[in-house]
Amino acid sequence: MLIPCPHCGTRPVEEFTFLGDAAPTRPTTNDPSTMEAWYEYVYLRNNPRGAIEEYAHHSGGCRSWLVVSRNTETHEVFGAVPARDFTRAKGAKA
Amino acid sequence: MPETAHMTERTFNRVSPLQDVALQGRFGADKGAVGVTFTVRHPMSIITVIARAGQGAATAAALKGHDAQWAGPDQYFVLAENRGEGALYRELKAKLSGLASVSDQSHGRVIIRLVGPRARAVLAKGTPVDLHPDAFPLGKSALTQMAHVGVHLTRVGADSYDVSVFRGFSESFWEWITEQAEEFGYQVI
Repeated sequence: MLIPCPHCGTRPVEEFTFLGDAAPTRPTTNDPSTMEAWYEYVYLRNNPRGAIEEYAHHSGGCRSWLVVSRNTETHEVFGAVPARDFTRAKGAKA
Repeated sequence: MPETAHMTERTFNRVSPLQDVALQGRFGADKGAVGVTFTVRHPMSIITVIARAGQGAATAAALKGHDAQWAGPDQYFVLAENRGEGALYRELKAKLSGLASVSDQSHGRVIIRLVGPRARAVLAKGTPVDLHPDAFPLGKSALTQMAHVGVHLTRVGADSYDVSVFRGFSESFWEWITEQAEEFGYQVI
């Protein structure tokens, strides 16, 4: 797979370290009533066949955290944005 | 260490980690012109500059006039030759106060210069980065990996490139890159 790093241009997937699904949102409080939400955030992940947005670290390049959107079934890569921008956009939507 | 003059004078002479490895001479293919000439740029002042949030443009503007190479988003390596120990660091630290974080990496990295008609062919064996002048013009830098070693690559001339690696990797990287140059014939000066 080729990943279009927004800072470095198109690079092979070997330069990247994937962390996993970027969809889960970290609960904002430690309140005991949020234990269920924490459990979901820490342990539960979907395993989608199809589109996914994943955290990826360009460890072999610019060392930036990115969010790569790709298709797990076809290995098609749709794009990559800085994780910072992804998180801000998610916050704006919420 | 206190930044006083008498301390600076007592600093040990810097030794290149490639001093005993990068032996001078001509190696590899011995017919015809030399394909690549290697030089170890030493000693160099190498300063990492990382702009604070929102200060990218201001940092770039403040670095005008310095040999600043792109090293990631809003990050730079600033290079200089013939500066005293820590001199460039102190200059940038003062100049970029509030704009960027500055750290002295002069002892941490080694810069190897490749010059010659086959320099690009040697580098292309190790990196998928497109080194055609249209895609990688003079002054452009890329962060990538060669032989599993993280490298910072910059075009410094039509047929000249600087490759910067962590000093701990420099010996193994040197062995790898000179081996890649053997088929073209290379010299070390």
